[in-house]
Amino acid sequence: MAVVTNALPGGKARVRGRVDKTYYAFLVPGLVLFTLAITLPALMGIFYSFTNSVGYGQFSFSGVINYIALFSDPTIRGAYGFTIGFALVTVAVVNFVAFLLAIGLTARIRAKVALRAVFVLPMVVSGIVIAYVFNFLFSNSLPAAAGALGFAPLEQSLLANPDLAWVAIVIVTAWQAIPSTILIYIAGILAIPADVYEAAALDGASASRQLRSITVPLTAGYILINVIIGFKNFLNSYDIIVGLTNGGPGTSTTSIAMSIFQGFTNGDYSYQMANATIFFLIALVIAFLQLRVTRGKASA
Amino acid sequence: MHPQRSSTAAHLSRRSFLVGAGAIGAGLALAGCAPQGAGVTEISFYISKPEVIGYFDTLIAKFHKTQSTVRVIRDSTSNLSADFVRNSPPDLGCLNYNFSMVQFVERGALSDLSDMPEAGRINPDITPLVKATADYPGRTSVIPYSLTAASVLYNKDLFAKYGVAIPTTWDELAAAAATFMAAGISPFFNTYKDTWTVAQGLFDYTVGGMIDIPSFFAKLRSEGTSVGSSSRVSFQKDFEAAMARVSQLTSYANKDAASRGYGDGNLAFAQGKSAMYLQGPWALGELAKTNKALNIGTFPLPVTNDPADLKVRVNVDLALWIPEASTKKAAARSFLSYLMRPEIHNAYNADNNAFGTTKDAPPAANPALAGMQKYYDDAAFYLGASQLIPSAIPVANYAQSIALGARPGPVLEQLDGDWSRLALRS
Repeated sequence: MAVVTNALPGGKARVRGRVDKTYYAFLVPGLVLFTLAITLPALMGIFYSFTNSVGYGQFSFSGVINYIALFSDPTIRGAYGFTIGFALVTVAVVNFVAFLLAIGLTARIRAKVALRAVFVLPMVVSGIVIAYVFNFLFSNSLPAAAGALGFAPLEQSLLANPDLAWVAIVIVTAWQAIPSTILIYIAGILAIPADVYEAAALDGASASRQLRSITVPLTAGYILINVIIGFKNFLNSYDIIVGLTNGGPGTSTTSIAMSIFQGFTNGDYSYQMANATIFFLIALVIAFLQLRVTRGKASA
Repeated sequence: MHPQRSSTAAHLSRRSFLVGAGAIGAGLALAGCAPQGAGVTEISFYISKPEVIGYFDTLIAKFHKTQSTVRVIRDSTSNLSADFVRNSPPDLGCLNYNFSMVQFVERGALSDLSDMPEAGRINPDITPLVKATADYPGRTSVIPYSLTAASVLYNKDLFAKYGVAIPTTWDELAAAAATFMAAGISPFFNTYKDTWTVAQGLFDYTVGGMIDIPSFFAKLRSEGTSVGSSSRVSFQKDFEAAMARVSQLTSYANKDAASRGYGDGNLAFAQGKSAMYLQGPWALGELAKTNKALNIGTFPLPVTNDPADLKVRVNVDLALWIPEASTKKAAARSFLSYLMRPEIHNAYNADNNAFGTTKDAPPAANPALAGMQKYYDDAAFYLGASQLIPSAIPVANYAQSIALGARPGPVLEQLDGDWSRLALRS
């Protein structure tokens, strides 16, 4: 207390821009929690990836054997291929649809607020619930409807087709992810000053020209943020896939997060820790990318 | 001490006397059913099979009535691996005996029960099944308690209606399937959506009907990292014929098998929508929920043309064990002995559609299981191949791929690769 009262405004410490030590004390709880709950387990996981541990009991060091096995494992390579491809497609679908909807929901239409609420609804439903509902629709309703209409390609469940099951996952993931993306785009579009549009209208710019030359360039920062955050989230896909296909048919839709988690239940702990380490490095690269990009935009 | 309080204590009022008398009386009454004092040992009993937790609670209550020195606390939620790591495992375990138990057995975490008279009563045909899953040299680590046998469930009424006899060879099975298809009835109802149903049914039945499973897996383990196209045994060489049978069998199944799950299968078979269903006795209770009058029989799936090859798939559904780390082994043994009393043990297996594990076990009680009795008596049974492949390898997913029409060759090649990679890193 004495220290604080002495460091009143005008004191030398404040002038030199030095921060009072009390402020650092406030960092301690957060730092301790983060270290204990995130940093330490992560370091332990990396440590175990160089052993043959099954998660408990005795283990011995095995060097980089887990990593060698990992890179030659077609299931793991398949999981990376599927996850990255799925994330790219989903991010494109989500942002395209969300951007169009956001334009519609910011236009001068009736019941704007009510419509926005409707479009945002999927956001509040848990992913696993959405997945089970859609699972039923894809397995029963859709084939029945296709059968009644005589549309042969959809008479068999989409989820049972190893080549097309990912499409179903993209649809459901997009359905859940679009609302939050819409919200960011609405904020971005509403932030554009109205006088820019007025000037464009006076110069005779058409609506599509205004979209191309004003709306899109002036929301570029929001698009970038949505794309990067979305991509990072879709790389971590888990619950919707578990509820829809559980990684199948075969292993065609097993995501990286799913294969890592299976290490806990299948006594394959150290191997999947090696997988997690690789995945962590990829996430790190994306995070740095995001940091660079968003820092540039924020100051602009 | 407070003066006032000491004076109250000195004069025993009528009220406090009554309270005291009541407390003593209640204590005596409690002592009758729940002894708490010295000489009572509390043991924890781990049972994880969700269907029978209530059943065992009743058995524990009965056990408490027979004696007053051991109290059993049932646990069905702990994390077993974590308990072993903390050196505080349950005093008595009663679990499904599969790959998840291997580590505990092979690292010597379970105590030797060979000196118990109950160990000597076990049917010697069942001991190899236990040892094939996991073994610690020189020890009886577990006592098998319940054996479930699975094969083809068939609708007796449909078989009678179309004059189909129980097939004992592959050709007879194909002829039976043709008869049913001609009558517009799906011979099999398959459920590829739930991968485990494919692994335990199509995959295990065809492999078990063709291959000597213990010898195959023993050779496979000795090959280790070199399992592949050039090794002595491999999935791609030895499982190819069985997987061809899987592909043939899928053509006898319902058209929507790809999008049907276990629940759908139970419903459809109970409604008489198929003549046969590749499921184990655990489905019988579910089938009865839909159709109590369903007339079900069982027979082993013929996959060769030699009736001598017929076998049923079994697994040690429950096995009893006492950890080395338990400090109350004697008390745990007394409850184990109680559970192994013939009247308790046989009643459990009769009530839960299982086969016994002792030499003097009576025949299976449920008439639906009668078709498998002969094979059980002759020890014509095998452990499912999918249960002997470590769970780190997604064999059920691979079986699903083949059922959905993938070419078996590349899938089996991947299985070989998985096996050798796992051998490399463990």
